[in-house]
Amino acid sequence: MENLHSPSDRLIRKLQWVWVAGFIVLVLGIITWFIHLMRAALWLGDVPSAAIGIPLVAIPIFLALASVVFYVFWGLAIRGRDR
Amino acid sequence: MALWGMVIDLDRCTGCQACVMACKAENNVPAVGKKEATKGRTISWMQVLTETDEEHHEEKVRFIPRPCLQCDDPPCTKVCPVYATYRNPEGIVAQIYNRCIGCRFCMAACPYNAKFFNWYTYQKEQPGQNPDVSLRPKGVVEKCTFCHHRLQKARERAHAENREIQPGEYNTACADACPAQAITFGDLSDPGSEVSKLARSPRAFKLQEELGTKPKVIYLTEGEGGG
Amino acid sequence: MVDHKDHDEDILLAPIAHTGPGFYWAVAGLSVFILWGAIAYAVQLYEGLGVTGLQQPVSWGLYVTNFVFFIGISHAGTLISAILRLSRAEWRRPITRMAEVITAMVLFIGAGQILVDMGRPDRIFNVIRHGRYQSPLLWDATSISAYLSASLTYLYLPMIPDIAILRDRLGKWKLFYSVLALGWTGTEAQKRVLNRAIAIMCVLVIPVAVSVHTVVSFVFSMTLQPMWHSTIFGPYFVVGAIFSGIAALIVAMIIFRKAYGLEPYLKPIHFRYLGQLLLIMALLWFYFTFAEYLTGYYGAEPEEMKIFWSKFSGPFWPFFWAMVLCNFFIPLACLVRLGRRTVGKVLAASLSIIVGMWLERFIIVVPTLSIPRLPFPQTIYLPTWVELGEFAGSLALFALFYLLFTKVFPIISIWEIREGREEGVKEVEERVKSYLPDEAKGAA
Repeated sequence: MENLHSPSDRLIRKLQWVWVAGFIVLVLGIITWFIHLMRAALWLGDVPSAAIGIPLVAIPIFLALASVVFYVFWGLAIRGRDR
Repeated sequence: MALWGMVIDLDRCTGCQACVMACKAENNVPAVGKKEATKGRTISWMQVLTETDEEHHEEKVRFIPRPCLQCDDPPCTKVCPVYATYRNPEGIVAQIYNRCIGCRFCMAACPYNAKFFNWYTYQKEQPGQNPDVSLRPKGVVEKCTFCHHRLQKARERAHAENREIQPGEYNTACADACPAQAITFGDLSDPGSEVSKLARSPRAFKLQEELGTKPKVIYLTEGEGGG
Repeated sequence: MVDHKDHDEDILLAPIAHTGPGFYWAVAGLSVFILWGAIAYAVQLYEGLGVTGLQQPVSWGLYVTNFVFFIGISHAGTLISAILRLSRAEWRRPITRMAEVITAMVLFIGAGQILVDMGRPDRIFNVIRHGRYQSPLLWDATSISAYLSASLTYLYLPMIPDIAILRDRLGKWKLFYSVLALGWTGTEAQKRVLNRAIAIMCVLVIPVAVSVHTVVSFVFSMTLQPMWHSTIFGPYFVVGAIFSGIAALIVAMIIFRKAYGLEPYLKPIHFRYLGQLLLIMALLWFYFTFAEYLTGYYGAEPEEMKIFWSKFSGPFWPFFWAMVLCNFFIPLACLVRLGRRTVGKVLAASLSIIVGMWLERFIIVVPTLSIPRLPFPQTIYLPTWVELGEFAGSLALFALFYLLFTKVFPIISIWEIREGREEGVKEVEERVKSYLPDEAKGAA
C-alpha cells in the first residue's frame, strides 16, 4: 500500500477530490433545478404531465452520469492505488 | 367570471383604420420611424388586413381588422419558456414585459401574426402618452391586450362604488373609435350581452377555426349582397 | 513492440510538445473572425436585435439556423464513437477522439447561438427560475445540458490513459495531467473499471444524443405552421444531424492529418469507410426529404403549397436547389466509387454536405415564417453584417476551441491504437473464427 508522503501527491489527491466533487455538485444542482421547475408547475397547475414526465426521464440520466464519474474516480484514484 | 370577447362585422368595416390609430394612441404603441417601417418592423397591435380577389389581384375584396384574437387555446402560450405570456382566467392572453426574454417563439407560433417585437428601444417617456400603459423596453414581445388597463380602471371604480362592472363600462379603444360601429366588445359569458348575441349570428365565423385555437374575436361575414 | 510504442507517442504527442509557427498563424487568422463576431455581438447587445435583418414576420433567421446547424454537427461524436465502439469496429481507433472533441466543443457554440438570438440575454436566468416544461425550448435546455455533460464525460473517460502518458512523458503541466489522470497506472483492476465505465457511457450517450436533435426539431414541429407541423421532423433532424456531423468530422480529420502529419494513422481506408457511411446518410437524407415534400405536394393543402412553391420555384429556389445539389448529387458523384483519390473525393463530398446541410436548416426555418397564413405584404429576409459576423465568429471560435484542445491533449487516442496492435488483431481473429462452423471434435 502506497503512502502519500510527498506533498505533490497529497495536492494532486486534493485537487482530484475538488473537481470530482465539483462535477457531482453541478449535477446535483441541475437535478435541483429540475425539481424546482416541477414543483413550480405543479403549484401553478401548469401542464403537470410535462412537468413531471420530463424530469422523470432527465434526473436518472444525470444521476447515472454522476455515478459513472464517481465510480471511475473511486476505482482508479482511491481503490486503484492498492496493488 | 367574465369571458371577454369581440365581434367584428366585416359588412360594416370600411377599412378606415380609425381602430388602428385609436389603439396606437391608447396603448403607447411606438411609431417605429420610416427606416424601420421599410424594413418591415411596424408595430401595430390592431392591423387591417386586405384580402384581394383570387383571380383579380388588384381588387380588394374585404378588410379584416385583426387585433390579437385572444385564443382560448393559444398556441403562443404553450411555447413560451418563461411564463411571459399566459391566458388569464377572464380569457385575456396577457403579456408580461418584465419576464419576456425575447426568444420570439410565441411570434413564430402565432398563426395570426398578432405578436410584435421591439427590435430597438422604440420609445422613451414623453408627454402625451397614456400613463395607464407601460412602455415596452427593447427586446420584448408585445401585442393587443384588449385594453386591459381599462378593465382594471373600471374594476377599481366599481369596487370603490361597491358594485359590479356594468356592461359597456369596459370597452376597448378600437371598439370605441370605430365610426361604423363594426367592432363590438363585451362579455361572452353573459348570454344577454350585445357581443354574445352577435356571436350567435348565422353570419359568424372565426379566422382559421380549423386550427383549434378557439379565438375570441369573431367575425361576421358580409351580408347577402356580398358586402 | 517497444519501437511502435515510442514511435506512436512521439508522433501523437508532438503537437503538444512542440508548437510551430503554423499554430500561431492559425490562431491569428481565427482571431480576426472571432473579433468580427465579437464586435457584431457587442453592437447588437448595445442597440438591439434591430441591427439584424429580422423583421415581421421573419422573426427567426440566421441565428436559429446556426443553432440547429451547430447542434446537428454535434452528432458526429456519438455516432462514430459510441456506435463503432459498441459494434467493436476496429477501424474506429484513430477517429474516436476527434469525433468526441467535435461534439464537446460544438455544443458550446450551438447553445451560444440561442443566447445571441435572445432579445433580452440579461434575463437568461428567467429560464432557470421560471421555466415551463410545456415549452420545447425547455426540452432543449434539458436535453442539451444532458448531452453536454454526457459528451464531456464520454470524451474524458477514454482520455484517462492518454493523460497518464502525458503525465509521465511530457514534462510540462505535470500537476494538471496528474490531477486529471486519477492515478492511472494501467493495472488490470483499473482497466476493468475504465472499460466498464466507457461501456456504460456508450449505451447512455446514444439515446441522449438522439433526444437532443429530436427536441430541437420539436421547436418547429410543435407549432401549427405549415411545413413545420410535420411528424417526420424528429427522425429527419436526427438523420440530418448525423449526416452533417460525419461530414464535419471528415473535414476536421483531413485538416489535422495534414497539419500534424498523421497520415500513418488516418489512412485512406478510414476515409473510405467514413465515405461509405456518408453515402448511406446521403441516401437516407434524400429519402426523408423526398417523403416530406411528396407528402406535402400530394396533399396539396393550400397553406402548405404556398410554402412548397416558394421553395421549389419561388424566392427561395436558389437555396432549395443548391441544397439538393450539395446534399445529394455532389456527394453521390464523389462517394459512389471510392477506390482512388479517396481522401480528395471524401473531402469534396464533406465540404459540399456542410454547405448543403446549412442550407437545409435555412430552408426549413425561413420560408415558413416568410409566408404567413393571413394576407400580409411580402417581405424579404436579408441577413446583415452583424448576423454574418456572428456566424463567422462562431465557426472560428469552434475551430479555435478544437485547435487549443489538440495542443493540450492528443487528438488520436494513443492507448487505443496500442490496444489495437496488441489485442485487437488477436481478438478479431478469434471473433471471425467464432462465426465460422465449429471444427468437428475428434474428426476422423
